[in-house]
Amino acid sequence: MLLRGLTWLVLFQLLGTALSVLLLPMLPGPIIGLVLLFGVCLLRGEIGEPLQLAASSLLRYLPLLLVPPAVGVMAYVAAIQADIWAIVVSLVISLVLSLAFTGWLMQALIRRQARRRERT
Amino acid sequence: MSLLDWQGAWQAVIGHPLFGVGITLASYQLACLAYERTRWVFLQPVLVSMVLVIAVLLLCGIEYADYRRASELLTVLLGPATVALAVPLFLNMRRIRELFWPTVLTLVLAGSVATALGVLFAWLMGAEPLIVTTLAPKSVTSPIAMLVAEQLGGVAALAAVFVMLTGVLGAIIGPELLRRCRVQHPAARGMALGLTAHAVGTAQALQEGDECGAFAALAMSLMGVMTAVFLPLAVSLFF
Repeated sequence: MLLRGLTWLVLFQLLGTALSVLLLPMLPGPIIGLVLLFGVCLLRGEIGEPLQLAASSLLRYLPLLLVPPAVGVMAYVAAIQADIWAIVVSLVISLVLSLAFTGWLMQALIRRQARRRERT
Repeated sequence: MSLLDWQGAWQAVIGHPLFGVGITLASYQLACLAYERTRWVFLQPVLVSMVLVIAVLLLCGIEYADYRRASELLTVLLGPATVALAVPLFLNMRRIRELFWPTVLTLVLAGSVATALGVLFAWLMGAEPLIVTTLAPKSVTSPIAMLVAEQLGGVAALAAVFVMLTGVLGAIIGPELLRRCRVQHPAARGMALGLTAHAVGTAQALQEGDECGAFAALAMSLMGVMTAVFLPLAVSLFF
């Protein structure tokens, strides 16, 4: 079951890689694979059990898979130090502003939809 | 006991291809244990294991390039894991039928604002182009952010760190900030946490309740896909 799901995931990733080279060089293969798989799920209206099992098993260990790339930061200490204030300030300010804006916008849109529904 | 070749054994161990995988596995489990014991938002497993692995590498005098080659066994799985994100995205789709337009509009508007603000402030503060492009996908879950950063000419490893910092910060200040802005609707709170603070924000949103958590997960995956698809396109159009 697990292997069958994994095979599908690998297959979609490889398909994505092929399409990336052939048609869409600006998109990474795995992302095209993601969109393709999502499209197939939408068309079929459901997800097979092997695929669900493989996806949830793999995604449970996603943080682990991200450790080796994150360790790469040790190679860029100088670049970070050079721009440390720009990084800190832009991370904090843009986070605070976009967090507040997202919450406010979503709530305003939900209320508007609710009012419209009441009227009709 | 001078017959035993301690030096040789030590070199053989740290030079073994599995050494990199071994320290990664061990550090990650230690980090998870520390997080489960303390439940401290600062102790994000990826961040803590990163620090542990770097410490071991420095102690053993191993270069990053060698470690990366040794840990390929793990990183090669990032591709299929990214494809696997389609599954939770699809499972969440059912929930948004009710609030389809608010969700889509918020995603497009607020998602673009979140990305643009980060880039804008970094640029205004005079950061290097390398840092600016790496900051662009900071609101997105790390696998996508790392792929996108690399695609844009930034640094995948740095993107992972920015993503983590954004997520942890968002989870810490998010709930209080939203309360002060009088955002009470659970879907709106979840949307804000998931869209700006990805997985860490989603974990925080799940503690507030089911609806909040579901919308956070939805916002996180939608924002991830939108960034992955449109950010490289936007950049290739403008530059």
